[in-house]
Amino acid sequence: MAAAAAQHLSGHDAIAARYRDVDPVYGETRDIRLLGFVFFLLSDCILFSSFIFAYVYLRISAPAWPPFLGGHQLPWFDTSFAAMNSIVLFGSGVTMHFALENWKHLNKAKFNGWLIATIVLGIGFLLGQAHEYSVVGISWTGTTMGASFFTLTGMHGFHVFAGVCYLTILGLQANRGTYTGSKYFGLTAGTLYWHFVDVIWVFLFFLFYIW
Amino acid sequence: MQAGTSTTHEAHDAHDHIHPPPEGFVRKYVFSLDHKVIGFQYFFTGLLIMFIAGSFAELVRLQLTDPNGAIMSHTAYNEMFSMHGTAMVWLVLIPLVTGALGNFVMPLQIGARDVAFPWLNMASFWILPVAALILFSSMLWGGPHAGWTEYPPISLADGTAGALWCLAIFTIGISSTMTGLNFMVTIMKMRAPGMTWTRMPLFIWATFATALMNMVATVALSVAVGALFLEHVFSVPFFDPARGGSVVLYQHMFWFYSHPAVYIFIIPAFGVVSEVLPTFARKPIFGYKMIAFSSMAISILAFTVWMHHMFPSGIAPWLQLPFMILTYAIGIPTGIKIFSWMATIWGGRIHFTSSMLYALGFLITFTFGGLSGIFLASVPVDLHMHGTVFVVGHFHYVVAGGAVMGFLAAVPYWYPKATGRMLNERLAQLGFWLFFIGLNGTFLPMHWLGLEGMPRRTATYAGFAKAFPDAVFWNQFETAFSFLMAAAIGLLAFNVIWSLRHGTLAGINPWGARTLEWTISSPPPYYNFKKIPQVFDRPYNFDQPLPYRNTDNELDEFPEFGRVLMPIPQPVGAGA
Amino acid sequence: MFQSPSVVRFKGLGPGFWPVTIVLALLSIANAWYFLYGNIDWIMPGASQPVADRASDIDGLFKFMAVSSGAIMIFVAGYVIYFAIAFRARPTDSPDTIGVQIHDSPKLELWWTVLPALLLILLTALSINVWYKIYFGTKAPALTMEVIGHQFYFEFRYPGLKTSVFSKTEPMHLPVGVPVRLLITSTDVIHQFWVPEIRLKSAGVPGLVQSLNFTPLRTGTYDIACAEFCGADHSLMRGKLVIEPVATFNKWLDSENKTAAAGGGAINLAGGSAGTGKTLFAQKCAACHNNPPTPFDQKLVGPGLLHITDDPAHPTLVTGKTPTPEHIAEILQNGFTGPIGTMPNRQANGLSDKDIANAVAYLTSLK
Ligand code: HEA
Ligand code: HEA
Ligand code: HEC
Ligand code: CUA
Ligand SMILES: [Cu+2]
Repeated sequence: MAAAAAQHLSGHDAIAARYRDVDPVYGETRDIRLLGFVFFLLSDCILFSSFIFAYVYLRISAPAWPPFLGGHQLPWFDTSFAAMNSIVLFGSGVTMHFALENWKHLNKAKFNGWLIATIVLGIGFLLGQAHEYSVVGISWTGTTMGASFFTLTGMHGFHVFAGVCYLTILGLQANRGTYTGSKYFGLTAGTLYWHFVDVIWVFLFFLFYIW
Repeated sequence: MQAGTSTTHEAHDAHDHIHPPPEGFVRKYVFSLDHKVIGFQYFFTGLLIMFIAGSFAELVRLQLTDPNGAIMSHTAYNEMFSMHGTAMVWLVLIPLVTGALGNFVMPLQIGARDVAFPWLNMASFWILPVAALILFSSMLWGGPHAGWTEYPPISLADGTAGALWCLAIFTIGISSTMTGLNFMVTIMKMRAPGMTWTRMPLFIWATFATALMNMVATVALSVAVGALFLEHVFSVPFFDPARGGSVVLYQHMFWFYSHPAVYIFIIPAFGVVSEVLPTFARKPIFGYKMIAFSSMAISILAFTVWMHHMFPSGIAPWLQLPFMILTYAIGIPTGIKIFSWMATIWGGRIHFTSSMLYALGFLITFTFGGLSGIFLASVPVDLHMHGTVFVVGHFHYVVAGGAVMGFLAAVPYWYPKATGRMLNERLAQLGFWLFFIGLNGTFLPMHWLGLEGMPRRTATYAGFAKAFPDAVFWNQFETAFSFLMAAAIGLLAFNVIWSLRHGTLAGINPWGARTLEWTISSPPPYYNFKKIPQVFDRPYNFDQPLPYRNTDNELDEFPEFGRVLMPIPQPVGAGA
Repeated sequence: MFQSPSVVRFKGLGPGFWPVTIVLALLSIANAWYFLYGNIDWIMPGASQPVADRASDIDGLFKFMAVSSGAIMIFVAGYVIYFAIAFRARPTDSPDTIGVQIHDSPKLELWWTVLPALLLILLTALSINVWYKIYFGTKAPALTMEVIGHQFYFEFRYPGLKTSVFSKTEPMHLPVGVPVRLLITSTDVIHQFWVPEIRLKSAGVPGLVQSLNFTPLRTGTYDIACAEFCGADHSLMRGKLVIEPVATFNKWLDSENKTAAAGGGAINLAGGSAGTGKTLFAQKCAACHNNPPTPFDQKLVGPGLLHITDDPAHPTLVTGKTPTPEHIAEILQNGFTGPIGTMPNRQANGLSDKDIANAVAYLTSLK
């Protein structure tokens, strides 16, 4: 009934109407899961903040930065390559946004296209990171700089990797009919997660490559 | 139906869908999704580990009967108090007060059928025995030796055992975080219709404040021990000063969690006391809003005081001041609670059940421990007291005399609801006197011993005993009294098991209490509430014979016990 | 089916409220009296005759807290017990007898928020006052010495003494009435230097130096204890502190001074080759000092050694001496343990007389 009415609406109104017009069990479950997911991201955020605190603390209390190892001062990180890689990651945030929007507009083909683009960009970022690790010239265990760098970016890389897997599963589910135009909480969660991973990178990029 | 009319009414319809109870032993009792069963699992696991951790404490006490060490080597002693502290904090108190009480009581009190994420809840519980196994297995490698705080660089000498310690704490941290998240969502989203924030029982406020800290602070702990683990296993330099690391950094990261942690176990106890006192004084709680507010204030302030554990440890002097002042500030909301509780019993009609005795004892011992905390918070005085057994005295008054006492008040209080039978009242009251006297006898002398110069974590104290000969007497005195406490806990365990079969039947509401869990049968059915109740008023209104009009939930549905919905308050202590 | 509850009634604040209050007040006064005028040496060692200048300040703070929180404790415990007895249920009660139904009293709640707050503000003020004296209010120290924690003993370094004093074998000595500054650090794990009678303690943290300032006021022998867990024998990490008149102290210092240094006599530095020294430096020193040498503050394990003889930012050597070639050679000979860490002595580094001459020539050539 309301779904029929919704067809006469357009754009955002239609989406909003569909979103609201789900059975109450789903509606309530969605509310609960959304809050739970946001809290999960919040605690994940604290995971990164704590390591960032450690990095800032160690860096500020060090007599010289970058630190010395075996008589030589370590090099600064190469900003230009990382900047390019960051653009890849941020681009994937944009594509993910379009993927979800297209899903909401019931445009499955475009959704698939954008989602695949997101996954490809995510993988591209991971490959870029792998390259970065191979040329960076410092080690995990040598200095506090390496310890913080590899731990933080490694954790972030792991999040990206998990995100790539997550998005792949979501894509499969979406094409198997798990989600509909009004019930797509999984996709919302995936998008939130992916944006979260992007935002964390903003901080890491600033801390390691610009500061 | 029109889109957009979704209201609380519909939302609660959604919940009225009752699942059939699970079949089979494993689904019912082992991998159960039912919050009540999970609560039991936490309860028994916690109690079991408390036996172990308590036995370590008794060994510690026995060693100190002789200034040269009565029974074990220095290394063994160091292992004992490290394991005692670690196990008590993470495997006993946090599981007992958040896991057991929170799981069993919280959904019942808010009128929900379960927590928000039952699977997550089950996973959180099952992490606990795994973490316990990891921790205790570390003793095969010699065990951790550096105290429950495991400060590097000394903890780095622990090798494999130290790495296992980190792993265990990391795991248990994940469990706490998930529980906190779960409870936050449950309380925010699943309260019965009509239960506004100011109509929640105070135990729910306490659980909410605790869940917030669990969710936020525990991750920081995971990071601290995670980094320590990396340093142990892969020698990644975070804390090694020779490679530019900082040992003080670990202390910051550790205490950023572990200070909130101490409130994680005291605030649920505050919640219990806020339930027990009105019920047995037969009065509404005094100053509901201020108590609820102070729980939140404490949980937020808790994040701003961690450096009071580090005053002499190498932080800049000017940093000490804000942390001293903020620590003092916590005394204000805590005081509000204490005074409100005193006003609650004032003018009441007090029934001395074992729960009530524990709650009254709590008021005295917790206040004492809190006040000695105020001494420690003063930077100059802490420069004298830090690292002495004065600190040990302080925190046992607040953990044993606060958190454990609160827990012990909760056990007889909710036992009838959980099992359908009363705890043996006479044994429980005997347990109270043993615990209360034992507690004061064990931990009071520590205050002057510490001030006189006895450092904590010392396997022997011959040198100190030469300077202060009374030390030997007082240490033996403490040891003797500590066994009264052990007896009290042992008695409780016996009582819990004995009453399971021999306790008198409880009925729905043996205490005549006024919160939702007392409107359903004891033990509650799998789905708790046949129909989600509607709440019309605040809790603790003893002047109204029928606080909740939940008329659909007729007791005829549960013919085992009782006939009336909200029985007329019976003479309390009927179970004795 | 439901009877309406019967509410308890009584006059005033309850039977016997005021007499109980008076008793509690008297107890609080007695408690205050005891802490202010009684002999509390069995609680606080040396409280009757302060051993150091900060001890009496800290004791004052302690007494203030003992008096005020003693009163709070007496009233809380007293009222809890009194309320429990006065408002107990009676056997004659009907099952639905209930207490006075009050929910709150904003005025009362305001009081018990504001009064503790005021007390805590006062306490803050008093604490800050003492805190300031401890960290900033001392006279310029006449004796600055180092205390270094080791597993499981303290090492004391006196200015001008060639060898250290070790707590295992010898007591620490301090002159009475002379302002001292202790620089506290550690070479292995965290320790804490604590003399209960002096009331102050500070952690020796590896890689960090902290200072304690005070003036000893009373002669005598006192215990030193380590107050931070530092390993298996933490409980045995104790020592003695002898506070003695200045003359005695100086006599002791002189007698110690005669002990010869372990590194051998002065070395002939003439003829050292900077070129050979450079190679030697790369072989034997680069593990701990940046090579090529960097400015002092860029440390590896040890400090950077560039411009060691004429660095305005680092006018003296870590030993506190002027950066002459002879003094540098002394460090290479005897080694040195300071806040940065331990510089090994010549035996440990495997340096011959010639090596030392070459290394010094190299270092001094770095202008
Ligand atoms: C958090 C909770 C908690 C609790 C409840 C307790 C409870 C007790 N604690 Fe604990 N304690 C800590 C947390 C806790 N402790 C921590 C964090 C430390 C610091 C560790 C460190 O320095 O790193 C510490 C340290 C500590 C020390 C100082 C060690 C030192 O610095 O050298 C001592 C010494 O007396 C002690 C004693 C006791 C005793 C006697 C009890 C009693 O209340 C215990 C009573 C319970 C039982 C005994 C178990 C149940 C009973 C039975 C099984 C019956 C039969 C058993 C026997 C008769 C043995 N504890
Ligand atoms: C349940 C646990 C618990 C609780 C609730 C507290 C509560 C407090 N603690 Fe405690 N603390 C511990 C557990 C706890 N602590 C542990 C385990 C350690 C040792 C860790 C280790 O090193 O191993 C420790 C150590 C510790 C230290 C570090 C000591 C050191 O190592 O040098 C300090 C210093 O400030 C401190 C202070 C306080 C204060 C100010 C409170 C306050 O919250 C207390 C507030 C309560 C009151 C003040 C009483 C009631 C109030 C009134 C009646 C109102 C009127 C009062 C006034 C106006 C003052 N604690
Ligand atoms: C094991 C590490 C180590 C080695 C090897 C070592 N040093 Fe050092 N050195 C140190 C440390 C640490 C200090 C700082 C001591 C302090 O003040 O705490 C130091 C200090 C010094 C100083 C004093 C610096 C100043 O500014 O006052 C000189 C000079 C010096 N070293 C020279 C050498 C030479 C020459 C060699 C090689 C023959 C050498 N060191 C090998 C660790 C080392
Ligand atoms: Cu050194 Cu304890
Ligand atoms: Cu604390």
